[in-house]
Amino acid sequence: MTELGLTPYLALGAFLFACGLLCIATKRNAVGILMGVELVLNAANVNFVACARYVPNFQLEGQVFALLVIVLAAGEAAVALAIILNFYNNHATVDVDKADELKG
Amino acid sequence: MVSWLLANPGRLYVVATLLPLAAAGLLLVGGCLRNLCRPYREDNGLARSVFFFLGGNRPLRAGAYFATGVMALSAVLGIYGLVKFLNDADSRSPIELEQRWAARTTWARVGISDAERPAVTLEVGYRVDHLTALMFAMVAFVSTWIFVFSLGYMADETEERHEDHEAHVTRPGRYGRFFLFLSLFCFSMLNLVIADNLFQVFISWELVGVCSFFLIGFYHERRSAALAANKAFIVNRVGDAGFLIGLALVWTYFGTFNFEEIRSALATSGPPMSHGLFVVAGIGIFLGCVGKSAQFPLHTWLPDAMEGPTPVSALIHAATMVAAGVYLVGRAFPMFSPEVRLVIAYTGTFTLFLAATIALVQTDIKRVLAYSTVSQLGFMMLALGVGGWVAGLLHLLTHAFFKALLFLGSGSVILGCHHEQDLMKMGGLRRRMPVTALTMLVGVLAIAGTPFFSGWYSKDLILSNAMGFGLAHPEHILLFVLPLVTAGMTAFYMFRLWFLAFAGAARADAAWHAHESPWVMTLPLVVLAILSVCVGWGWPPWEPDASYLGRLLERAQPGMVHGLVQPAHAAGWLALVAAAAGVGLAVLMYGTRQIDPAVVRAKAGALYGFLREKWYFDELYDALFVRPVVALAYATARFDKRAVPVEQADAADRTVNVSSLDGVLNALGLGTLSVGRSLRAAQSGFIRGYVTVLLLAAVALVGVLVVVYAGG
Repeated sequence: MTELGLTPYLALGAFLFACGLLCIATKRNAVGILMGVELVLNAANVNFVACARYVPNFQLEGQVFALLVIVLAAGEAAVALAIILNFYNNHATVDVDKADELKG
Repeated sequence: MVSWLLANPGRLYVVATLLPLAAAGLLLVGGCLRNLCRPYREDNGLARSVFFFLGGNRPLRAGAYFATGVMALSAVLGIYGLVKFLNDADSRSPIELEQRWAARTTWARVGISDAERPAVTLEVGYRVDHLTALMFAMVAFVSTWIFVFSLGYMADETEERHEDHEAHVTRPGRYGRFFLFLSLFCFSMLNLVIADNLFQVFISWELVGVCSFFLIGFYHERRSAALAANKAFIVNRVGDAGFLIGLALVWTYFGTFNFEEIRSALATSGPPMSHGLFVVAGIGIFLGCVGKSAQFPLHTWLPDAMEGPTPVSALIHAATMVAAGVYLVGRAFPMFSPEVRLVIAYTGTFTLFLAATIALVQTDIKRVLAYSTVSQLGFMMLALGVGGWVAGLLHLLTHAFFKALLFLGSGSVILGCHHEQDLMKMGGLRRRMPVTALTMLVGVLAIAGTPFFSGWYSKDLILSNAMGFGLAHPEHILLFVLPLVTAGMTAFYMFRLWFLAFAGAARADAAWHAHESPWVMTLPLVVLAILSVCVGWGWPPWEPDASYLGRLLERAQPGMVHGLVQPAHAAGWLALVAAAAGVGLAVLMYGTRQIDPAVVRAKAGALYGFLREKWYFDELYDALFVRPVVALAYATARFDKRAVPVEQADAADRTVNVSSLDGVLNALGLGTLSVGRSLRAAQSGFIRGYVTVLLLAAVALVGVLVVVYAGG
């Protein structure tokens, strides 16, 4: 099996990132947006891990950062889901466009 | 605590300095607490208890007693420190003295330190020498008796509703506030005295200024008092501008504010700047002293400062404030080049003559005393200017006692006559107020320069120094002649005051119904009278040079003073003759009435009016400075103000007109408003909008990077 090199991984990361961003930009469902955010984070993770593999001097950092991002994603999901749950309790919907009561 | 203090006895002075500040702070906290609790005084609770514990609506006497007690403690510490220091000075080496009686610590670092230039540090510190120790003891002691006197004099401020008969308002009494300011005032002055560097002096200097502002304007409902407070403050600012210039020059060229370091730098290598700048620095520092010590041309504030309560006048004129200027001239003496010293001498001479001529014809008892203070300060400046360092500072110390006595005595008279200050409406008070009359007579004798009274020793020294200077430099003989004449005038106007107030028969109802003041006011008079007599004594007493106080001061004298002037002792006899002539004339005019003052006045003609109106200095300054500034202010206001009625104000606020300040500001405001309004649309609240912007921005940024790096 031949070595793939860094580029395909970065391409995958970019693709995932674009998907995530598109998801955030188009979805009205709050859970969908959250999923988009997860995609973006994981795109970054792919990049980190790939770089850890192929870039010298970045081996340890890449893996540590990847772990950090996973923890961050978990925390972010917990907080975001809690917010969404509360929002649902109050408004019986998770449509983010309905969350406009603080608009000045 | 005691061992900590005695291990390094200079700390006594720090404690004694901080005590009045602590008293002021506690009074301030108490007053604030009481005001905070006032809204809840009807409720049952802690706030109510605190409110009534702190005196309720009625000013609490306890605060004043507390402040007085603290001041007394400070004075005791000061006197104990003086005794201990004098012992030490005799028995210990200079290095040991330096360790025990001086300390300094870094307060702030300025700038970055590198190999070439170490960071410059601002320091706070104290250094006790003979001058500091004597000044400290004097200031604390005199202030304490002024506090005691105030307990009685300000008693009507303890009323819940005090009626101010001059301003026609009824207001709460301000007993506590008065003592708060007094304490703060004393702290500032004591801090100034112990300071070992110019910067600390400057800070205390400004504190003294602001305290005098508060106290002169104590009856701020009276327009005259408010104006006098402003005048004192603003005139002092003029002097302080000069002081700041001096400070900047000293800082730039010496790199330190420490008196000792400046003194040794000057002694070893001379001034580190060009001679011209050295003169400018000296003049600048002296200008600050001119403002504080009310010398010509900045003397106009001091007589107006009489608007404050009489104990404040005593404090300003005797122990604090005006003493600060002379003290600083003495402290910074090595920084004055011969030219600057000549300026100092001439300023002093002109001031002492000017003030004495004005004092001849004033009829307000406090104004006579105020001008006599200005005149005596002129004597001190003259002495310092001609090189009589000891003479000038000795006069500062002796003057403090008899001037405090005279002012407190006049306070007693004013209170006894139910707030009558016009000498023409007094008379015959010596029978109704025997203690006040007698003690005032002591003060008058002392200031007139009667032998064996403290004033004689110092004035004699000043005049012999001035005469010595005049003989050595015949072109400056005026520096001796004017003071000699003025010594006679001093004796005349002080005896005139005493005869008008205390001798003869009462000339108005107020004087008929006068009564002696309570013991709390006469006791300070008696104590100060005793000291006014004997504070200058030495052995043998008929030799003014032998004054013990003077001998002590001599040991603090900067080395460069030696040989500046050779005192001429014949001056003492001439001064006595002049004083005797002055007293004789006063007796003839106001005692036995053999010469009718009205005839003299008629003969003097226009001169009388000229003196009566204080050489028209107020009018001159009014025309030269005040009016143009006020006119400028009105012009600026016209430029700024919109000339429309209130109901059209909204429309006027939206007028864009570049030719007026308002129009320009309107344009700015309206512009900001419209930008904000148009940007508001961008905040839609929809996440996808934000994300799109974010995305586009990121793409644009990457695009820019690509272009820049691909291109470069």
